[in-house]
Amino acid sequence: MATAVIKNNFYNVSSIVLKPSTAIPTTVAMCSNFCPRISNRLPGPPISSFPTQPRLCVSANAFSSQATNATSKEELPSRIGFLGIGIMGSPMAQNLIKSGCDVTVWNRTKSKCDPLISLGAKYKSSPEEVAASCDVTFAVLAGPESAVDVACGKYGAANGLRPGKGYVDVSTVDGVTSKLISKHIKATGALFLEAPVSGSKKPAEDGQLIFLTAGDKPLYETVAPLLDIMGKSRFYLGDVGNGAAMKLVVNMIMGSMMASFSEGLILSEKVGLDPNVLVEVISQGAISAPMFSTKGPSMVQATYPTAFPLKHQQKDLRLALGLAESVSQPTPIAAAANELYKVAKSHGLNDQDFSAVIEALKTKLQSSEN
Amino acid sequence: MEVGFLGLGIMGKAMSMNLLRHGFKVTVWNRTLSKCEELVEHGASIGKTPAEVVKKCKYTIAMLSDPSAALSVAFDKDGVLEQICSGKGYIDMSTVDADTSSKISEEITKKGGCFLEAPVSGSKKPAEDGQLIILAAGEKQLYDEAIPAFNVMGKKSFFLGQVGNGAKMKLVVNMIMGSMMNAFSEGLVLADRSGLDQQTLLDVLDLGAIANPMFKLKGPAMVQNNYPPAFPLKHQQKDMRLALALGDENAVSMPVAAASNEAFKKARSLGFEDHDFSAVYEVVKAPEHSA
Repeated sequence: MATAVIKNNFYNVSSIVLKPSTAIPTTVAMCSNFCPRISNRLPGPPISSFPTQPRLCVSANAFSSQATNATSKEELPSRIGFLGIGIMGSPMAQNLIKSGCDVTVWNRTKSKCDPLISLGAKYKSSPEEVAASCDVTFAVLAGPESAVDVACGKYGAANGLRPGKGYVDVSTVDGVTSKLISKHIKATGALFLEAPVSGSKKPAEDGQLIFLTAGDKPLYETVAPLLDIMGKSRFYLGDVGNGAAMKLVVNMIMGSMMASFSEGLILSEKVGLDPNVLVEVISQGAISAPMFSTKGPSMVQATYPTAFPLKHQQKDLRLALGLAESVSQPTPIAAAANELYKVAKSHGLNDQDFSAVIEALKTKLQSSEN
Repeated sequence: MEVGFLGLGIMGKAMSMNLLRHGFKVTVWNRTLSKCEELVEHGASIGKTPAEVVKKCKYTIAMLSDPSAALSVAFDKDGVLEQICSGKGYIDMSTVDADTSSKISEEITKKGGCFLEAPVSGSKKPAEDGQLIILAAGEKQLYDEAIPAFNVMGKKSFFLGQVGNGAKMKLVVNMIMGSMMNAFSEGLVLADRSGLDQQTLLDVLDLGAIANPMFKLKGPAMVQNNYPPAFPLKHQQKDMRLALALGDENAVSMPVAAASNEAFKKARSLGFEDHDFSAVYEVVKAPEHSA
């Protein structure tokens, strides 16, 4: 395993698909000048020796007495990087910090990092510097463009990565983007894990996310204790692309469900029923879902406090439709739902919660100021 | 308490059985008389026609398949209207459109009887387990008197006001349910076509914000291409059609429901009428390769 990581250092540059950034070949060249990094800390213990909900990050040194054989070459990450301090990244990083982890953050808008810095996080001014100074770097970005830019762009994380390090991309992107990022990351010799999550703001705050990972299994095993701090469950789904696909499928179903629920709320009100009673009736029966109970009441009041921005839901639907097209599957319901989100976007509801899609069905629309 | 029960299909049989088990005296009628036999074994009496049942019982409950059956049982020769009179109550628990319900209500009331529409949310198993959700509207007094029976058949009852409100509420709920089943089917197919394990998708869904009993119950069978009828597809499509008509009347935009209805229509044309409504999965799976 260690050998395979070292081999990546000597990647043939011409085999890499070059992005606008010219930093990548430089990085690879730099790596080939290094001595391959051989860990002088003993490899971490296997998963089973970790408690399922560890509340404390421990440095690798504490495990030096639990030496196992050299095939488990990934050490427990002691320095954790966090790129993207938004609705999701902020609470996720906070949970790591509160568990005692050594966290270094970066965000495009620096001020978003301030609450974390006051909790003890370090700050670096570029993804490259974060990745260079950390063992494992997480990225939680808005979508494909920012994910690629942060990973592979100028001052991107790839510039700071090398063998022995890991990059975990929690952003929700399409499979093609994920594979592209993976390729660039692995070209540095580092390991890559795609790890989009199911769950929005509150589950992030509560450490109740569901991780849908794929990619380098050893990295998955290394970061599992960190995922267990931030989440309630984790899946390893195999090759890069599988995590992205699973996330898109889930959010496709969710987007359609929210659109249908919106149709029901509007219809119930138009025909003289109390939509709050509809919400209650639904909560009693076979289609009772947490999402309906949580968001129904605020939707009836025409308020949409942002847990999951509508623009991201629409992005996910668009990517899911792309995935469906790539496998020649018609998805009329998702397509119809997507149109409603597009209408909502065109009325300025991008940054409202995705439940604001109900506005797309109304004849008198809310302005974006509401 | 003595009640009449008209209609012993998937739902009616289970509901009347529950009443019998809880000590109600029940007189049953069904278009196909043989379906009454099992109920008789459990203590029910038989009425040869709906009129005969209404004549005998102070309260009569009906559980019929669609608007035309509901109208027929009420209006036809030997139907409910022949014997309904002051002091008697008729509780129609069929799922119909608001107009049908209003029509029946009007005629019942003209003859001096009391009327309550009371469609239910819940299919075969909740009916068997007495866990239905009852969406009643019409005569409040009749609703209050029916509560003992409702409490046996259901876990929760709502009184929603004037006749038509129960029907509408039911249709809205089933419209959402039909669209959800379609969305679920699209997700299951996409997972499969993308090389993901469908059971894993079910596991992931069950952990999150869109977890719901319907996905949990029906998902595993769908993945096995099994659609044992708890709620026949033809009835689900009927409900979608009625919900869309309601939307039509009120100029409400419902693109997702419209797309879902198309899928159910296609499933009917491919011969899945009497399968569980989850059989719409077959349409989503392979629209070109019909069964």
